[in-house]
Amino acid sequence: MHTLRVYRRCLGAHLRATLEYQADFWILVVAAVLTQGAGLLLIATIFARVPRIHGWGVWEVVLIFGMMVLAQGASELLAEGTWGLAGLINRGELDRMLLRPYPCLLQVCSSRVGMNAFGNLTVGGGLLGTALAHLDVAWTPGRVALAAVLLPSALLIKVSLTVVANSTSFWLRGAINTFAAGLDQLGELTKYPLSIYSVGLQAVLATALPFAFIGFFPVSAFLDHGRLAWVGLLTPLVAAWCVLLAVAVFRRGLRRYDSAGN
Amino acid sequence: MRPYRAMARIAWRNALAYRVPFLMSLSMLVFNLVAMFALWQALLGDGNSLAGFTWPQMKAYLLVSFFTNCLVSTFTDFAMASRIRSGAVAVDLVKPVDYQKGRFAEALGFALLETAAAATVCAVVLVAFGGVPLPPPGRLALFVASLAAVVPLKFLIVYMCGLICFWTQNYLGISLARVAVSGILSGATVPLAFFPAWLRHVAEALPFQAVTNTPAMLFLGRSPGLPGALAVAVQLLWVVALWWLARRLWHVAVRRLTVHGG
Repeated sequence: MHTLRVYRRCLGAHLRATLEYQADFWILVVAAVLTQGAGLLLIATIFARVPRIHGWGVWEVVLIFGMMVLAQGASELLAEGTWGLAGLINRGELDRMLLRPYPCLLQVCSSRVGMNAFGNLTVGGGLLGTALAHLDVAWTPGRVALAAVLLPSALLIKVSLTVVANSTSFWLRGAINTFAAGLDQLGELTKYPLSIYSVGLQAVLATALPFAFIGFFPVSAFLDHGRLAWVGLLTPLVAAWCVLLAVAVFRRGLRRYDSAGN
Repeated sequence: MRPYRAMARIAWRNALAYRVPFLMSLSMLVFNLVAMFALWQALLGDGNSLAGFTWPQMKAYLLVSFFTNCLVSTFTDFAMASRIRSGAVAVDLVKPVDYQKGRFAEALGFALLETAAAATVCAVVLVAFGGVPLPPPGRLALFVASLAAVVPLKFLIVYMCGLICFWTQNYLGISLARVAVSGILSGATVPLAFFPAWLRHVAEALPFQAVTNTPAMLFLGRSPGLPGALAVAVQLLWVVALWWLARRLWHVAVRRLTVHGG
């Protein structure tokens, strides 16, 4: 409990610091809205001309897209600091964090707040709400419970995968981890129905790099859509696996860390 | 000329020395290409056509759009932004070279490598997927000319966005917003032919469309109303106009610079 409280206060402190630069805050919010707007424009243009892609209608795709945006916002809010991990290692600044009586991973995560988080959380939440309103979902207690399990699990997967991707900095040792940015971009592929990709790519996105469990599979399970809908029920398990993986990879990396020498 | 040649050479060597970040930022564009290929193949693969695009034509469009996305990507502006923010730009001001021409020379150095890398990817995709209709030699020459005009054009857009750093602290938001806006208005996100008429007219009146739409339409031989040579002339006109505008902006911006100590 205490651990969580410190984590929240750390984030809060960074939040206040960043909010001091109001113009930058608004620029980043607008940038997030524009970026997601471009993605939505693509979806809107396509569905203006065809009713379905591989059996997926417009609001179903928007629901997947909304989940991806929301998850991105969550990872920018909770684990943005990991994007600075490469720099912390490169300059040997992790020393300072290792001396404090608090989990190093959480310190790294809360060492920054991504300002586009607010844009992305708002846009993602809005898309989720709009899509659900159009989809005519029967909100039985079972459905509500399912959503209550799937949503946090999906967000947790994204946050954990961000940590895993950035933990590779311990091995790569550059000042900026472009590898993580590449992986992140690979995850963007799952914004669209998975079946459009070749089988090999689908397998990678579902197992080795389970980005498909952030949007596609949970939405399939929730809407009971398609042959693979049952796979989405594994989302909480995948989330647990991803969290364990993130912690394990970070620990392994930390053991390799040998400061900067001065 | 000599100092600029040297600057271009150094930029080229820099990109070669930091190969990993370069290749990773390229891989991000490649992943996007993969997603777009899969998405449009799902829509057009079985012989359909949308807004006058068949699958072979769309393949060509996506490749041209990928190519123009690769040219003058993020190196110029992020380097500029960090020098403006840290005050290191003061050193650039002291040098007896023109700031704008200097940055352009660097962008050219990078563009050489970007062209080589993008051409390699395009060649691989062509071999793997095949079936892209090649234009006749006359139009091919015009297409190459218009690709060449994209370099200064895109540089000027990127450069002017970089100058905004004289007013703001944070560059990430500006860069994300630029990528989103120019992605939409250039036709890189969705071909302009898919837009509703009013948005297409807006896009056609702006310089962004000359970045992706013009070369792609030349390649496909679909420049409605405008003969090919005229389309290239419009691109060049934008280059001249934006070059002048960027100079004005620089003169206003540089007056805001305050560098503390040294």
